[in-house]
Amino acid sequence: MDAPVVLSVRNLRKYFPIRGGFFGTRVGDVRAVDGVSFDIREGETVGLVGESGCGKTTVGRMLLRLIEPTSGHAYYRPPEDVEDRLDELYRQLPATTGANNGGSSPPVRPQVVTELDQLAAKYSLYRKSPRAMRKLRGKLQIVFQDPFSSLSPRMLVKDILSEPLEVHHAGTRAQRAARVTQLLRDVGLNPEHEWRFPHEFSGGQRQRIGIARALALRPEFIVLDEPTSALDVSVQAQVLNILKKLQVDQRLAYLFISHHLSVVRAMAHRVVVMYLGVVVEMADTDPLFTQPLHPYTQALLSAIPIPDPELKRERVVLQGDVPSPAAPPSGCRFHTRCPAVMPICSQVDPPMLEVRPRHWVACHLYPQGIEAAAPSESTASMPAPLADTPLSGTAT
Amino acid sequence: MPLTRASGGEVISTAVATPPTSTSPPLADSRPPADTPEWTASAGSAEIFSPETMILKVKDLRTYFYTYDGVVKALDGVTFKVHRGKTTGLVGETGCGKSVTAFSVTRLIADPPGRIMSGEVLFEGADLLWGLKEEAKFTPIGDTGRVKVKRKFRRIKAANERMSAVRGRAISTIFQEPTQAMNPVFSIGDQLSEVLLLHRGMAIIDEMMKATPDSPAVGRAGAQLIDAARTGVREEIRAAAIRFGEAAHAPSVGTQAFYIVRATTSRPDELRRELGRSLDRLRLGAGARRYLRYQRRLLEIQEKLNEVYFSEMTERAPHTTARLGLGRRAGQLRLSHFYYRIPLVRSRLDRALKRELFWRVVHLLEGVSIANPVQIARGYPHELSGGMLQRVMIAMSLSSEPDLLIADEPTTALDVTIQAQILELMRDLKTRVGTAILLITHDLAVIAEVADDVCVMYAGVIVEKGPVREVFRRPLHPYAQGLLASIPRLDQPSKELTSIPGSVPNLISPPTGCRFHPRCPYAMEVCKTAPPPMTIEGPGHTVACYLYQGPVENA
Repeated sequence: MDAPVVLSVRNLRKYFPIRGGFFGTRVGDVRAVDGVSFDIREGETVGLVGESGCGKTTVGRMLLRLIEPTSGHAYYRPPEDVEDRLDELYRQLPATTGANNGGSSPPVRPQVVTELDQLAAKYSLYRKSPRAMRKLRGKLQIVFQDPFSSLSPRMLVKDILSEPLEVHHAGTRAQRAARVTQLLRDVGLNPEHEWRFPHEFSGGQRQRIGIARALALRPEFIVLDEPTSALDVSVQAQVLNILKKLQVDQRLAYLFISHHLSVVRAMAHRVVVMYLGVVVEMADTDPLFTQPLHPYTQALLSAIPIPDPELKRERVVLQGDVPSPAAPPSGCRFHTRCPAVMPICSQVDPPMLEVRPRHWVACHLYPQGIEAAAPSESTASMPAPLADTPLSGTAT
Repeated sequence: MPLTRASGGEVISTAVATPPTSTSPPLADSRPPADTPEWTASAGSAEIFSPETMILKVKDLRTYFYTYDGVVKALDGVTFKVHRGKTTGLVGETGCGKSVTAFSVTRLIADPPGRIMSGEVLFEGADLLWGLKEEAKFTPIGDTGRVKVKRKFRRIKAANERMSAVRGRAISTIFQEPTQAMNPVFSIGDQLSEVLLLHRGMAIIDEMMKATPDSPAVGRAGAQLIDAARTGVREEIRAAAIRFGEAAHAPSVGTQAFYIVRATTSRPDELRRELGRSLDRLRLGAGARRYLRYQRRLLEIQEKLNEVYFSEMTERAPHTTARLGLGRRAGQLRLSHFYYRIPLVRSRLDRALKRELFWRVVHLLEGVSIANPVQIARGYPHELSGGMLQRVMIAMSLSSEPDLLIADEPTTALDVTIQAQILELMRDLKTRVGTAILLITHDLAVIAEVADDVCVMYAGVIVEKGPVREVFRRPLHPYAQGLLASIPRLDQPSKELTSIPGSVPNLISPPTGCRFHPRCPYAMEVCKTAPPPMTIEGPGHTVACYLYQGPVENA
């Protein structure tokens, strides 16, 4: 039914060690990413949202192996049957292996572990040899957040754009030059611009050069790490429109990392909401924005100012800051700021459940799981002040 | 502070009686007689324009930067008003001159390279651009188009001293980058103490002198507080602590007592000892009292001097220092600014003052909903997150209870959930304290949430201004229309994003005529010739565009 999967991310973790003491011994871990799983399909944009420090950027960089993960895998283009088998195998693993899991889990059969290991050796990015990985890098690209520091000030635009082609020995010199012109046209720049230096461009134009560079090797998947947060709104719209057009033309898969939810809504097909290194909710864009289930998503949505002075909404203003990922709260990580906190929240880490079709949420408010949760029921179980906070608001 | 406030008020009233330049615009004369819209004649609009409701008026402000590449005309005739108790938003893209406007109002433009060239900034009737003309001389170098700027630094210094009567106390600013606006080597408590002492020092010293730590009422209130501590109910402890402070005639003792109860174990004898110790800092010896009187005297001179400066800016009265009998001492004071560098004064005598200020700082931090203010006040800026620091900045700029708060992108560096907290705080401030706010941001959504009026800036000029609802419902200028259409909307997802073609022009050689015409979809021939005048198109809604033919605004 769906397009083929480009990347299938499973239980991805990254712990950054905290060094201290006399000899720089490891005294603790910053759990930047703690068990993240999702799929990215061809021609699809997955939005990754969350506050600063929640691990969004770390996930994006791990998918390109710019950072090596502590554990977990990202399977590159697994065939459909392999993907189903993976799902089955992962279901037999305990939901989380972190210390947050209060309950005891059944022991894992050794066959599962060995089979997973075989599949990982075949498909996982993190098990590829350096040579194989280098070949793959042309297919997996990134556009960085800051267009002012991500382009070398000493290189001409044409050199910036043809460098990836040279590194991968793509085409003859003439073909490369033709490709550079083509790329500049694709991102809406003038071909004459290839003889300029980055400092001669405005922020929006530089970001387009960054996009052109990512496109040079005809990638299948691009990580867009806050591509418009350094740009003004009028220019942001230009860049977003270009990205959308390129996606349709070249069937690109995007991982769109942003803290700006309105932009994510405009760009993404599916949205993954992260909080303190874990995924709290995952759904198609429209259901997520119209009927958010996790209290964190609800608060995040209600915190966004809407550019319409006539619209007055009930707000859920979260108190306090994000806790430190070096010592995350026990149980559900959001319980310290959650407006609908229950006693169970501080003890047990809620599992990720498919509460509605294609709508996963990790929250104790929705214990019914797949079968029992009719949409009306889950709305009724929402805490009163949140339930009557429709996102669209009520015009006064 | 009360001194300045009182005399300032008096001065303003005279300014109102004989308006220097600002009268209610004679709409009745300028409007075309043919079609008379109702709103021009309504009493409501007359009230909007009257100086009583107006706190800041900026007229035709021009700020240029002299760089090697040429003269950057960052502001080229900016005119707007801020009304009492209202929030006015200033919105535009990067480099359009929003922050330069804010800095020009308080004359904080770095000089060189920047210079305020001309214009008028009236704050409460005082001319903040006092003595601007005499500060520098411009001589053109041949006919290269470049100029030589000769600055008269004594004049600039004098203007700066005068501005200290306004900066921080009457107009305070929240800067864009809280991490860069705070000093990394002083603790947060010390930095806030400095501000408190400068702006409210006399009142604080007076209260310290009047405190009664040994009255019998304090003993009774203390016993009640210990009882309340046993119950462990937060609200009760808080109320009892406040009563304890009131009994000692020192509200800061109340704050301190609250945190003592929270920090110590509930053993009554220990608590009693701790509370007693908190009162010790108010049992002032003869030396400490003499020291405080000396500090108060210094602050008083500064206060009088500020008053003189303020009246000079209002009436342009020459040499009033002599009239107040300050004479030479005023000059000495300028040399002795060291007195408020609190961490540098290490004498035992000022310990009482320092502690008093510390607990007042804690109270301020509570006011901006910081959870553990005692630890935060002892901490240093690098230990805090951006959101926390921004709240500290807000506490700092509000400590002097300013009449006008300039918030320069207060939420740009913050996450949405923290942004919501800060915006909530600012809204609360407007209703509770009645502070007028000049909110500078590039985020139209933030403007829609908190502002009452909005000015849209483009390339150094204001292209449209008016009440927020009016401008968002009916944006008139093509730039304002484009800006509103280019925001991705959370509530209207399916809408196609439209963008404004092209990019912001170079301000060294800006486009002739209307600065937006190269990007404007409706550009006409006339747009290239002369900048369009500001025309009135609705109650308080004005626009600078040739597409509209309303009566011309004369501010």
